[in-house]
Amino acid sequence: MFAFDPYSPVVDADPFPFYKTLRDEHPCFWSPQAGMWVLSRYSDIVSAGQNWQVYSSAKGNLMTELPNRAGATLGTTDPPRHDRLRGLIQYAFMKRTLEALADPIRDIARSTAQALRGKDRFDFIEDFSSKFTVRVLFAALGLPLGDEQTVRDKAVLMVQSDPHTRAKGPEHIAAYNWMQDYASNVIAERRANPQNDLISHFSMAGIDGDRLDEREVLLTTTTLTMAGIESLGGFMSMFAFNLADYKEARQAVVANPELLPDAIEESLRFNTSAQRFRRCLQKDLTLHGQTMREGDFVCLAYGSGNRDERQYPDPDVYDITRKPRGHLGFGGGVHACLGTAIARLAVKIAFDEFHKVVPSYRRTQEQLAWMPSSTFRSPMLLELAVH
Amino acid sequence: MVSIIYVEPSGKSHAVNVEEGWSLMQGATANGVDGIVGECGGSCACGTCHCYIEESRFAELPAPSAGEVDLLDTVAAELKPNSRLACQVQATAGLEGLVVTLPATQG
Ligand code: HEM
Repeated sequence: MFAFDPYSPVVDADPFPFYKTLRDEHPCFWSPQAGMWVLSRYSDIVSAGQNWQVYSSAKGNLMTELPNRAGATLGTTDPPRHDRLRGLIQYAFMKRTLEALADPIRDIARSTAQALRGKDRFDFIEDFSSKFTVRVLFAALGLPLGDEQTVRDKAVLMVQSDPHTRAKGPEHIAAYNWMQDYASNVIAERRANPQNDLISHFSMAGIDGDRLDEREVLLTTTTLTMAGIESLGGFMSMFAFNLADYKEARQAVVANPELLPDAIEESLRFNTSAQRFRRCLQKDLTLHGQTMREGDFVCLAYGSGNRDERQYPDPDVYDITRKPRGHLGFGGGVHACLGTAIARLAVKIAFDEFHKVVPSYRRTQEQLAWMPSSTFRSPMLLELAVH
Repeated sequence: MVSIIYVEPSGKSHAVNVEEGWSLMQGATANGVDGIVGECGGSCACGTCHCYIEESRFAELPAPSAGEVDLLDTVAAELKPNSRLACQVQATAGLEGLVVTLPATQG
């Protein structure tokens, strides 16, 4: 009997064989372990992402949702509320606005990379990507410096889930609560001393003349910090993982950094770090002969859609010349990632500077320790040896 | 499926069967049509899926949202009365055969 358990460490390590069976044999699959349906084909996922009226996010979008978050953030509201909330924040993450951040991001990348000079092996995550991402996110959100390392550690913990209980464990909830307290202090501080930054504007904004609900301000700030730091750091480790393994791709982007954007897109497709999100059905729906009921949860397996041979020929080949347009690495539709432009900009600059110091590297460990998470996929540690 | 005719900047046209409910942007990017980027993934946040709708049928489309109107002001190519963002137009049966022309640049 085929089973798909997004809490299984085997799925954390390598979900792709499961996805292939799902796509070919069970394109609309009930997973008792997840307690939800799983959609795995590219076209079904695009259709669902487009149809927010039926596939609602208002009951939460993380596979294992954090308590009391649903309904108060961008990822967990539906239009029209979602669009108004997004309208308040979006300008800060638009490509044009971000141009001003390119130089500060480059400085951060350069100094973080410099610290690696002379090392013959190091943990890419501890020694580079996490240091880089927190500093970039702190700059983008205008967070006060001082707590970067703790904020990063809590962000990574709060997206995890316990493989045994198939729920958030006490340590994950504690990290989430810590992050809320942290966000609440920043908000209070910015209200007392407003700056020209995102959180100052957002914490005093309103929709249609109404002040934002306090829970929205708090949880949106909490989620932005989590999404920004964890998603960006997680993807960077997946990108380094691919470049360490695929020597020719690495040599190509080192020789010509202009190829980095294409390589980034291919890694977003090939090793999707944001693997699975969920929706809640607003009416009964029959798909591939299965009837799903109103109120059922449905998993959109972006990581599977990105390997669907019906959309991408030779999907299991890593090919930086592929230009995989329409990939689902950032999701799609109204809930497509808010951070696409800053993520692309930051990763490109980070690897450009990283490669100036460390142009040639390989993985030291055959087996990696993967993060226990039903939503995200990335290694906990990525030791690289310098050639 | 809804047949949409995309005209690329080179003048080459493609008739593509787009799933009902998909946006005109997704119909193009998933089927290898050139001249459209869709950088933000369809969340109406970038203005890189600018297109021109067949003039005689423009009025058949639901009106753009305020967010789309704001972004249309930022598109790279010439803004025309029949300009829309392709991610904000859904393929519906009524649009069968619609001609969608893509501009020379998306910026
Ligand atoms: C490479 C890095 C990143 C990846 C792979 C990624 C991936 C994703 C994905 C797949 C979604 C869709 C979730 C769903 O369908 O429910 C999403 C949504 C979101 N992301 Fe990202 N993300 C990244 C970086 C960032 C950054 C840097 C930020 C913030 C600064 C961010 C903020 C958000 C927010 C707020 C949403 C919810 C948007 C909405 O529902 O309107 N992400 N992200």
